[in-house]
Amino acid sequence: MREIAGNSEARDKLAKWIQSWLKKAPRRKAVLLHGPPGVGKTVSAEAVALDLGYDLIEVNASDKRNREAIDRILGTAASQGQLIGKNRLILIDEIDGINPQEDRGAVSAVVSTISNTNYPIILTANDPWDPKIAPLRNACEMIAFKRLSVRDAIPYLKTVLEAEGVDAEDVALKLVYDRNQGDMRGIINDLQYLTTGKSRLAYVDVQPLAYRDRKDTIFQALALVFSAKDINQAKRAVDASDVGYEMLFEWIYENVPRQLSDPRDMAAAFQNLAKADLFLTRAKRTQGWALLKYYFDLMTAGVGLSRKYTKPAWVPNRFPERIQFMSRSRSVRAVRNQIAASIAARCHISSRRALTRFIPHLKLIFQTNEREAAKIAAWLQLDEDSVSFLVGDEERAAAILKASVSAS
Amino acid sequence: MEVALWAEKYRPKTLKEMRNQQQIVERLKQFVDTRTMTHCLFAGPPGSGKTTAALCLAHDLFGERYRDAFMELNASDARGIEVIRTTVKEFARMATISNVPFKILVLDEADNMTSDAQHALRRTMERYTDTCRFILSCNYSGKIIEPIQSRCAVFRFVRHSDEDVGEYLDYIAAQEKVGLAREGKKAILEMAEGDMRAAINTLQSAATFGKSVTEEGVYKVVGKAKPLDVQEMLNLALEGDFMEARKKLRYLLVEEGLSGGDIVKQIHSELFKLKLPEQAKLALTEAVGEVDFRLVQGADEEVQLSALLAQLALKGAK
Repeated sequence: MREIAGNSEARDKLAKWIQSWLKKAPRRKAVLLHGPPGVGKTVSAEAVALDLGYDLIEVNASDKRNREAIDRILGTAASQGQLIGKNRLILIDEIDGINPQEDRGAVSAVVSTISNTNYPIILTANDPWDPKIAPLRNACEMIAFKRLSVRDAIPYLKTVLEAEGVDAEDVALKLVYDRNQGDMRGIINDLQYLTTGKSRLAYVDVQPLAYRDRKDTIFQALALVFSAKDINQAKRAVDASDVGYEMLFEWIYENVPRQLSDPRDMAAAFQNLAKADLFLTRAKRTQGWALLKYYFDLMTAGVGLSRKYTKPAWVPNRFPERIQFMSRSRSVRAVRNQIAASIAARCHISSRRALTRFIPHLKLIFQTNEREAAKIAAWLQLDEDSVSFLVGDEERAAAILKASVSAS
Repeated sequence: MEVALWAEKYRPKTLKEMRNQQQIVERLKQFVDTRTMTHCLFAGPPGSGKTTAALCLAHDLFGERYRDAFMELNASDARGIEVIRTTVKEFARMATISNVPFKILVLDEADNMTSDAQHALRRTMERYTDTCRFILSCNYSGKIIEPIQSRCAVFRFVRHSDEDVGEYLDYIAAQEKVGLAREGKKAILEMAEGDMRAAINTLQSAATFGKSVTEEGVYKVVGKAKPLDVQEMLNLALEGDFMEARKKLRYLLVEEGLSGGDIVKQIHSELFKLKLPEQAKLALTEAVGEVDFRLVQGADEEVQLSALLAQLALKGAK
């Protein structure tokens, strides 16, 4: 137990509770260790068993835990007398992870096991107030495990890494800590991934991981929108991710046709997105930011609740393609606009009109007739990029440019 | 250096050289004779001679150095009324060189200005009216606010007749020593619909294929130069392939540089050719109108048009 970092108070309480069994079974014959993931609940149970030389019998989240299974595994373990002479501990891990459908009757099975048990039972959970496990609260001592503070975590992590032959920057460790919000399991996993085959961990090594996090939250937000069963659930998407609401809109707008593939649902969802966009437009123009709430509602609930006919299915979400498209085509558009400006300056026309009225013709001329192209290139004073854009072929572009120089 | 684009090279330079729009030319000649001028509103379809008339007027009034007393602004290029106001101020302040007591400012595509901008423009016009006369140019005079219209002499340009365009094409072809087949000319006239600039551009493009401009050559040009693949986009939507339709839309907006307004206009005309029941077409017209309205308000072009495509996909599926 000494090796575990943090939560010393909780661990002491656990140890004391178990040792009290040696004198007499306490009133509450089970203890519920609760707290966020990765703060040491399960590990503490295992450690105390090791320290005290107890047998540890585990039933964890992945086992089927309906009444039969519980009775089978625990019944004998909890009530049978000592066969080998060792004390035993029973650990039921992640009890709040039960599925009310699949693990029918599991909670009441546990409650009755607790009342009949001859041995200490340890339960772990993330959320002790989950209504599913309400009956257990009366039967258990509650011990709270808290997130490891940065101050406790960093020295501990440094020691761990030292043992692995890795020297780590404090700021790097802090970033890993932040990314995992104090979840030690997550932190150790990240560190293992980051330091494989390395002897040093710097801040810059951790940064790419931090970006990965953002993507995760947007997927959560999208799940909230597209699988929403009610308005409030959908609306939570706005706060669920940290990408900013206009970006959230882009993600939703991009993925509606994938997630709501029935044309009836798609049309309805897009109607609402279009209305949402209108509210954003008005808000921006009038500086009436109170209008944003309608923007949020329409883009989340308005989309999510459009699902009437499309069957729920797992469809991967894609990054907003139009943003990629825009950035990829940015340089092309810049060149094209340059040509348009050149025409506009000489032909008494706006750039925008030059785009639609002249450039298609220019493309054709440049691709067909080098001599004419050269004349035009000279007159418009087009540069290499512009000529390439119009011709679409670098070799011929070079030829045209050469000819244009002599033409001017 | 010789002007390489025929649409510009063969633009008339004086009022006398203008062959068409004779009624308008007569009135403009009076401005020249009296050396006075009111504010003007030139209204008419694209390629009907509005810019040419303004340029010729300026040339006749101010002589060779007309550029000193003449400025062109474009409502869609200029970024908002502030830019216009400052530009006008600077322009109006500079002393004139000629013996004409005012300068001319042409504001093109004035019907693209929001009504707020137009009101601000009216005040600017009033402020500098002593030294600066405005020629506002637009396609639809109905989009110009009434206070401006009442301060301007309105000149209505009609589209060129096919004869007029045809004559001019013959003239240019002769000058450029390019053969113009009768069928080729007919094809150009059909495509141009009275837009002189479009006709001349097409002539120039088609001339690159060979010594003579043929019908085939023109169709090649029209096929390639036609930037509006709106029809294809609409059909994709109707067939239910929304993702492809949206991709096409994105391409038109981003790569081809079409505006949402351009696309809406085209959709509206294509709508009635689609294979849909009449009631559906009517409902869609309403939807198109709504999109048009929202675009003017400044909404996201792709988002609004996508919603329309989704509606189409739905109607197509039924």
